[in-house]
Amino acid sequence: MEAEISINYLAISTELIVIFTIVGTITLDLIFTKKSKYLVALFALVGSLISFIPIIFQWANYSKAMVLFDGSYVIDKFSIILKGLFILVTYLTFLLSINFVESDTYYEGEYYFLLLCSLLGALVVASSRDLLTIFIGIELASGPMFLLSGWRKGDPKSNEGAIKFFLLGVLSASLILYGFSLLYGVTGKIIFSEIVSSLSATGLHQSPVVLLSSILILAGIGFKISVVPFHSWAPDTYEGSPLPVTAYLSISSKATGFVALIILFTKVFYESGTSWGVILVLISGATMFIGNLSALQQTNPIRLLAYSSIAQAGFILAPIAVAGITGNYNDGVYASVTYLVIYAFMNMGAFLVVNILIKASGSENIYEWGGLAKDSPMTGIFSVVFFFSLAGIPPLGGWFAKFVVFRSLLSTGEIFGLSLGIIGAINAVIALVYYARVSKIIWMDDSPAGERVITVPNPLKVVGFISLALTLLAGVFPGIFSSLGEASAIFFSS
Amino acid sequence: MTSILETFSNGLGISLVVFLPLVSAVFILFIPKKQEFLIKIATLGSSLVTFGLSLIVAYQFDYDNAHMFQLGNKLTWIESINSNYEIGIDGISLPLLLLSTFISVLAIIYSFEHLPEPVNPKGMMSLILILETGMNGTFVALDLILFFVFFELVLLPMYFMIGIWGDRTVRSVAGFKNQIETRLYASIKFFVFTLFGSAFMLLGFLGLYFRGSKTFSIPELIELGTSGAFTGTFATLVFAVLFLGFAVKVPMWPLHTWLPDAHTAAPTVGSVLLAAILLKLGSYGFVRIALPILPEQAKAWAPAIAILAAIGIIYGSLACLAQTDLKRLIAFSSVGHMGFVMLGISSLTSIGINAAMIGMVAHGIITGLLFFISGSMAHTYHTRDMDRLGGNMKLLPKTGVLLGFTAMASLGLPGLAGFWGEFMALLGAYNPLPGLNITVFRTSMVAGAIGTVLTAGYLLWMLQRVNLGEPKEEWIGQDLHDADNYELAAWIPLVILTVLIGIFPKLIFGSTNDAVISLVTKAFGG
Repeated sequence: MEAEISINYLAISTELIVIFTIVGTITLDLIFTKKSKYLVALFALVGSLISFIPIIFQWANYSKAMVLFDGSYVIDKFSIILKGLFILVTYLTFLLSINFVESDTYYEGEYYFLLLCSLLGALVVASSRDLLTIFIGIELASGPMFLLSGWRKGDPKSNEGAIKFFLLGVLSASLILYGFSLLYGVTGKIIFSEIVSSLSATGLHQSPVVLLSSILILAGIGFKISVVPFHSWAPDTYEGSPLPVTAYLSISSKATGFVALIILFTKVFYESGTSWGVILVLISGATMFIGNLSALQQTNPIRLLAYSSIAQAGFILAPIAVAGITGNYNDGVYASVTYLVIYAFMNMGAFLVVNILIKASGSENIYEWGGLAKDSPMTGIFSVVFFFSLAGIPPLGGWFAKFVVFRSLLSTGEIFGLSLGIIGAINAVIALVYYARVSKIIWMDDSPAGERVITVPNPLKVVGFISLALTLLAGVFPGIFSSLGEASAIFFSS
Repeated sequence: MTSILETFSNGLGISLVVFLPLVSAVFILFIPKKQEFLIKIATLGSSLVTFGLSLIVAYQFDYDNAHMFQLGNKLTWIESINSNYEIGIDGISLPLLLLSTFISVLAIIYSFEHLPEPVNPKGMMSLILILETGMNGTFVALDLILFFVFFELVLLPMYFMIGIWGDRTVRSVAGFKNQIETRLYASIKFFVFTLFGSAFMLLGFLGLYFRGSKTFSIPELIELGTSGAFTGTFATLVFAVLFLGFAVKVPMWPLHTWLPDAHTAAPTVGSVLLAAILLKLGSYGFVRIALPILPEQAKAWAPAIAILAAIGIIYGSLACLAQTDLKRLIAFSSVGHMGFVMLGISSLTSIGINAAMIGMVAHGIITGLLFFISGSMAHTYHTRDMDRLGGNMKLLPKTGVLLGFTAMASLGLPGLAGFWGEFMALLGAYNPLPGLNITVFRTSMVAGAIGTVLTAGYLLWMLQRVNLGEPKEEWIGQDLHDADNYELAAWIPLVILTVLIGIFPKLIFGSTNDAVISLVTKAFGG
């Protein structure tokens, strides 16, 4: 075989721009002195924006999926949408970080460098179609987060959170690798499509070893998406990390994990769906209940959002779980991805609100936030929109996310989907109590004596208005998500 | 000119009625807080225009074809799930739409001068407008998902209305360690109860979607439902969850417990809007969605609904007899009155459902007025405790006369609006749809009749305690303000309507009757 390597550089131009920005960021960090370090942030910000341009072109000129490296790397509508999401979330995280990182004795240059590395990992996951690439993507996405979560070096909580995250992260990586090695051992292939054909040819797709492999991979990814029973690290790590990093962890890292899960389970293990589907149904139901019931008890806003994002993960997982059982993957992936996209923006907004209010009140106890909305009606409105959107109240975006999930759960009327639908409905009500509590405190409780001045820095306003616009748009014109349905259809046809 | 009217009748008219308030609310957010007068005038103007538009809609409405959905349109909304922006009105929704736009105007007039702490007219006015969009939208939506979104849109504004402007009395509540302010407890209770109902209702809508050729369109689902597309366990389950969603909102006994708390805690305008319109969303849901789409299940459930309605009537009146709080008494009277509405609906006859329709409108007008008056009295006297009140006729003559009048209307005095709903509901229950268990319905009718007596009892007793007699010593020499112009401007139109509908019930029946008969014929063949 002739070793002729031709690479479609246009197809991977997004990744290339991000790599260039990564190198540039770390180089500029060496050059600039402390005084002009903000230029590093600016460079990272601009770089991430530029990397969005190829996404737009690929979307606008889309004709068919581009397959690279013998099928290891695929750029289809599915991956384009997710890459767009990852870049936008990273961009918003940068905006959220600017004032935060400057305000303390952080290493600025490295901060942006690490976030960009994580972004690159996420981009790779979205396109990967073989075991090695997806593993590298997953670990490239989570590795930098180990460092970033321990960024507040002087804070014991940050150290504790980072150590927990690191140890469990390593464990999860080894579980995933073990699962992969079993697959490779059985089939001798690493590219997904070849694994599948080898499994069906040998009739091994229902064999115990493949099932074991799927369970190991599930457990490994379970840590990344923090679903029960692999969730216990999340609240501690979230609490210890710098707030923008927490936002990134709960949105982008989680989304990366979900994308990996979707790709692996619907591309590789789809023939054994009835086995892992049942496990996922149980995990999904338990995640919703445990996440929501724990969130009810929280007084710390970050832990509250941590448990809330655990509960939300239960919702995102539900359609995939049921799709495994019914085989209706197209619908399930559409629901999960739609939920992920809407969740990303409303959760980003919720972290923004928490960020502003912690600074304004000087307290990490929500019960001391009484009357803050009077001091900053804009933040008050943000809090209403984002928290009630998380609760799924129309006409805010969250309702449509919940709706598509319910729709895919009930689509076949089969008992697992029905039960998860009922569990979801009950959990939507439980969740309302703690989401509404935040609004109640800042709008309805009396403010303590003394003036509090809330200044919202401009970058945060930008984050707020972008998230607000997208959250409202998703709620009022959910039709814009129809392209996601098309994308998941293409995802399965390729 | 004609072309404008044409496009107007092509869905534009009712779309404006629905969305003008919302758009105005957004504009009002941009007016500086200090320009209170501008905010108030802009809100009033917007609500008046909305009301005017709804009158034009009522004028354009073809009453000879009241059973058909008119003046509507169907635009693509969420293509991927085949949910459309499908709107239209028929004889059933028209009176409720008018009631909604009308009461909103009065609520805004009242709010000019009578907002409790922390006043903030900008906040209150924008909430009323957002609420109005939700209410109007629910009455014109002909797509289940669109209906759901509007149905839920009212939750947030009402939650904040109760929570921010509500009653600050501190009380202890079972299940809470510390004492809690009434408004905080009531607002979240209202929210959680309603969301619980509607979350399951949404599952029911999805069930209909998947069994009924993947459509959310209400007219199409009615066609499917009346031709027997939904049967068996599936239909029973769907009816059960729809029942849950609507019955919480009505509210039917035993799901009513949020109502007395919410009403007592809410500021006056909140109580008025809640009683006059929000409760109707539930009973309207039964008539618009549950009955015609699932007729067989409606028949199976009708006796149960009748029994619950009868219990609600008796329970509501007995609870009223035990109240010392004026507002809480009116709140419980709503449970009773909505019991009559549901009794009428459960009979599944055209008389019963017509009774429900006029009952809804009458309850909206009369109970709305009662909440206005009691709210003002609470504001003047700084108490709602009926043991402390008394001699109101002498202290506040204008308010006293109106309270007396409204109480009479509420107890169903013939010649006033409240009479028709109660009387015809009992008539409907006496002679329910053939095939329904006659014993259950006649028993419910007797219970309802006893309820009317009890209703008269508690209202007259209330009048005796509050209005009549000599003023208590603590009020003598106090500077008490009788109803001012803003209050009278909000109240008098309701008084006039009460009389008009009492004398000419055709004002309502002229619109509803054909639509109701067609519904009953199509769904139940009767």
